[in-house]
Amino acid sequence: MPIRTEAVMGTLVTIQVVRSGAESDANAAIVDHAMDRAFGWFQEIESLCTRFSAESELMQLMAHVGVPMPASAILYEAVRFALLVAEESGGAFDPTVGLRMEGLGFNREHRTGEIVRTAITPGDDVSFRDVQLDPGRKTITLLRPLALDLGAVAKGLAVDAAARELEPFKDFAIDAGGDLYLAGSNEQGQPWFVGIRHPRRAHELMASLRVSNQAVCTSGDYERGQHIVDPRQETSPVAVASATVVAPGAMLADALATAAFVLGPQEGIHFLIRLGVEGLIVTPEMQQYQTRGLRLA
Amino acid sequence: MSKGGSNKKVANKLVAASCATVLAVYTAGYARTQSAANRIATQIAAERRASNPTPQRGVIPFTEIATTPGVPPEALSQVATSKPNRDPSTEPRPVAIEESAPAQIAPATSAAVEPSPIETQEPVSPAPQVTTSVTTSAAAPVAMPAPAAVVPAQAAPAWKDGVYTGWGYSRHGNIEAAVVVERGRIASATISQCRTRYSCSVIDKLPPQVAQRQSPEVDYVSGATQSADAFYGAVVEALSKAK
Repeated sequence: MPIRTEAVMGTLVTIQVVRSGAESDANAAIVDHAMDRAFGWFQEIESLCTRFSAESELMQLMAHVGVPMPASAILYEAVRFALLVAEESGGAFDPTVGLRMEGLGFNREHRTGEIVRTAITPGDDVSFRDVQLDPGRKTITLLRPLALDLGAVAKGLAVDAAARELEPFKDFAIDAGGDLYLAGSNEQGQPWFVGIRHPRRAHELMASLRVSNQAVCTSGDYERGQHIVDPRQETSPVAVASATVVAPGAMLADALATAAFVLGPQEGIHFLIRLGVEGLIVTPEMQQYQTRGLRLA
Repeated sequence: MSKGGSNKKVANKLVAASCATVLAVYTAGYARTQSAANRIATQIAAERRASNPTPQRGVIPFTEIATTPGVPPEALSQVATSKPNRDPSTEPRPVAIEESAPAQIAPATSAAVEPSPIETQEPVSPAPQVTTSVTTSAAAPVAMPAPAAVVPAQAAPAWKDGVYTGWGYSRHGNIEAAVVVERGRIASATISQCRTRYSCSVIDKLPPQVAQRQSPEVDYVSGATQSADAFYGAVVEALSKAK
């Protein structure tokens, strides 16, 4: 059963393909090739969307304020989706929170530890509304100096694109630092088992799920410290210890988990219900709030 | 758990939009990932030639990925994403739920995509036991299949396949290295956390040397001996878990 782990996007990405059919060499080569392509997506998307390289398309965009910048399809779509979620969540998810995260110390490249500094001073009130798209020309215009952080969207997007590469195999799992996509079933022919970790006790599960052809993503206050900032208040929200979202795709799940985390337990759950996805929110007091359709295993 | 009303998931704007986004990106980027795919394939082929020619079947097990006690696991501990738990007692009884494939997006026009409903099927019968699992978060236990019979080592060092992390210490701070072992060889080594006072970019050249040399014996870096030593120590510790 082919399984491979690579370090990309500042995390370890593991792809596992279950019973690839006949165990012939030819078949193994096909799986291998699909895995190559799947991992290729992570590298491709990272190279465009990283804030940790001045040459990345994203950083180039940020260096040109007020100018409609032609964007690659990948960057354009990633930004477009981020803005959609920002709109839908009333700004609870906001990709322009990037620079404020730098201010709070989230400016270190995961692998090299390099510190990034963005040579711009944003106004205190920048928001996703300062980013304009031109769907005809496929350009992105930053109306004011701001830092776009596509972290949540880019990783999920890479997972979803990788999942498309692996679609022919039907049964597979992609784990990108907690952004999961589980397709088909596991080796036992059962839906995949996904444990949601206890936000305070690292070795315990808070709950577990059974999923198939779904993405699962958890935003927690434990994994990287308080890494989620409430764009509306510039502070880390305190009402939530972790927010888990089960959705058809990882990009969606990741963005919505971030938004739900910021919105808080009650508002967050209502938000998820309105969007037709499932979720579980745990408060620092370990109270659990969940959508009705969530099936805990 | 019965699924009750079939209105559970309503197709909505964001679900449809996310599918459209992925499709647009996939379509646009397919050609572009070809080069990346080829590059990786070449690398892997080279590594295979260099290593064990015997085809290995079975599982490359995840092995213990644990941050050293005492080191705060905050910040960047995403490395510890998958963690084995071979203790079957912690595995919950399965509730089998089969869900059909999610939204299929027909037109390639990204903007106006018809939202597709996501349907669910009735639960299938529960199965006796489950051994494979994946988790969403850093240190949650995961049951990966128990390591299938370890393939006898052909050549000398032969580490156990898996991803290992270790910490190295210096007076300027600590470094965590993540070492990926595939087919008994070091496939890659990276600095997974840099807690040194100085940027770890000063020792950028060291991580690739680990795979090149199949050894933690990396170069000294003038002006960054402390960081280099810490990295060395981290790789040694990581590899000690691979024995």
